[in-house]
Amino acid sequence: MLNLIKYEFRKTWMTKLIILAITAFAEIAFLITLYTNKEGLNALTILLLVMLAFGGVLLIGIQSISTMHQDMNTKQGYMLYMTPNSCYKILGSKVIENGLSLLVAGAFFFALGALDITLVFGHSGELNQLREMVNEFMKQLSLGVQLDGQMFAGFTLSFLCSWLGTVVAAYLADVISTCLLSGKKYNTWVSLLFFILLMWLTGYAQVSLTQNLPIRSVFLWHSLISLAFAAIMYVATAFLMDRHLSV
Amino acid sequence: MLKSEAVTKVFGSQTAVDQVSLTLEAGHIYAMLGPNGSGKTTWMKMAAGLSKPTSGRILFKGEPVGVKSRASIAYMSTEPYFYPWMTLKDVGLYYQDFFADFSMARYQELLKRCDLTEGLKTKALSSGMMAKAKIAVTLARDASVWMLDEPFNGIDLVARDRIKEAIIEAAAPDKVLVLSSHLVEEMEAIADKGIFLRKGQLVKEVDIETERVETGCSIADEYRQIYGAQGGTEVC
Repeated sequence: MLNLIKYEFRKTWMTKLIILAITAFAEIAFLITLYTNKEGLNALTILLLVMLAFGGVLLIGIQSISTMHQDMNTKQGYMLYMTPNSCYKILGSKVIENGLSLLVAGAFFFALGALDITLVFGHSGELNQLREMVNEFMKQLSLGVQLDGQMFAGFTLSFLCSWLGTVVAAYLADVISTCLLSGKKYNTWVSLLFFILLMWLTGYAQVSLTQNLPIRSVFLWHSLISLAFAAIMYVATAFLMDRHLSV
Repeated sequence: MLKSEAVTKVFGSQTAVDQVSLTLEAGHIYAMLGPNGSGKTTWMKMAAGLSKPTSGRILFKGEPVGVKSRASIAYMSTEPYFYPWMTLKDVGLYYQDFFADFSMARYQELLKRCDLTEGLKTKALSSGMMAKAKIAVTLARDASVWMLDEPFNGIDLVARDRIKEAIIEAAAPDKVLVLSSHLVEEMEAIADKGIFLRKGQLVKEVDIETERVETGCSIADEYRQIYGAQGGTEVC
C-alpha cells in the first residue's frame, strides 16, 4: 500500500511543486508590496494568494480525477493494474494520497493566510478594529457568528472534506462510465448526471442533518458527513472496479 | 499451469474471443498465432488478469486468475505502457517495488545486452528501444508464466537475435512462455507448441516438432494452410 501511495504522489508531485513555486512568488510579491506601502499592488497580491489557495486545492483534486481516468483508459494503466494489488488497495491509495495532499495543502494555505493577516494588520495596527467591525456586521445580519481562528479552521476543514468527497464521487462516476456504460450512447451525460445526483444527495444530507445545530458545530458535521459519503462511494467504486474493470 | 475454460470476451457487438479452451503446460514455449483481430491480445490480457472474460474462466494452478496470479504471471503488452515521467532506472525500481520475483541485476544485464542505459527517459525512446526495454523488464522477473505480446515488433535483426537468446534462457521445466507474433518464421526457432486463433476461435493446437516430423509441415506452412486466401491452402 505504501508503494502505491508513493507512486500516486510521484505521478502528481510536479503540479504540487508548481503550485508551491507560484505561491512562493506571490508571497514574496505580497511582502514587498506590504512593506513598501504600495497598497494597490498589495491588494492584488492578496487576491492572487486567495485565488491560489482555493485554485491550488481544487487543482490537486482535479489532477487526481484526471490521473484515475488515465489509469483506466490508457495503456499506462497496465503499470498499475498488472501489479498484484486489489482494486480496493489501488483505489484506497489514490484516496489516501489525495486526502493527505488536500490536508497538507489546506493546512499550508491556512497557516500562510493566518500569517499574512497578522502581518497586514500588524503593519497597519488595525487588526482588532477590523475584527470588531466584521463581528458587528455579522451580528447585524443576525448570524451570531464570532469571527476567529477556530471559525476559519472549521470552514477550511469542511471545505477540504467536501472537496475530497467530490473527488471520490467523480471517481465513482468515471468508473461507472468506463466499466458499465462504455460504448453506450449518452455515456458521458449519464455519468455526469449521476455525479450531480451524488453531489446533491451529499448537500441535502448536510443541510437537513445540521439545520438546527449551532454554527460552530455545523462545519464539523459537514466534514463528517462528507467523509462518510466519501467512504461509501469508495467502497462502491472499488467494488465496481473489482467486478468489471478491464484495462 | 494455465487453463482456459470456454473463455469468451465480447466488446459491444464484437466477439473478440469465442469459447477458447486450452491448457498450457509447464516446460513449453507456446507460439500464439493468428492475423490481426484473431483474439491473441485479448486472451493474453485476460490471462494476465488485466481484463475480465464475459464468460468462462482462466485458471492459474487451479485458481481463477486475479490479484494473486499477477505475482506469478509476467505480461508484456505490445503497446508502450511505462509512465512518461520515468527513466529506465525508475522502471526497474517500480518493478522491484511491486514484484518479489524481479531481479535488478538481471534487468541491468538485459538492458546492457539491448544497448540501453538506465538513464534514458521512457518518453524519449524510439519504438525499437521501447520494445527492448519492455522485454528486458519483463524477462527480469522470475515468473512462472511469461506472456509476451508481439515481442519482436519494431526490433532490428541483431537485437532480435539477442532477445531470442534471452527468451530461450528464460525457458525452464517449471515455466510457461507464451509469445504472439506475426513473424511466424521467427517463432519456429523458439517455440515448441503452436496455438492458432482465427476470429476469436481456437483453430488448432500443434506440437511443432511432431508436426514437422509426421507431416513435413513447418509452422509457417501451417499458418498458410489455416489463414491463406479463401480460408486456407493445402501446402503440405
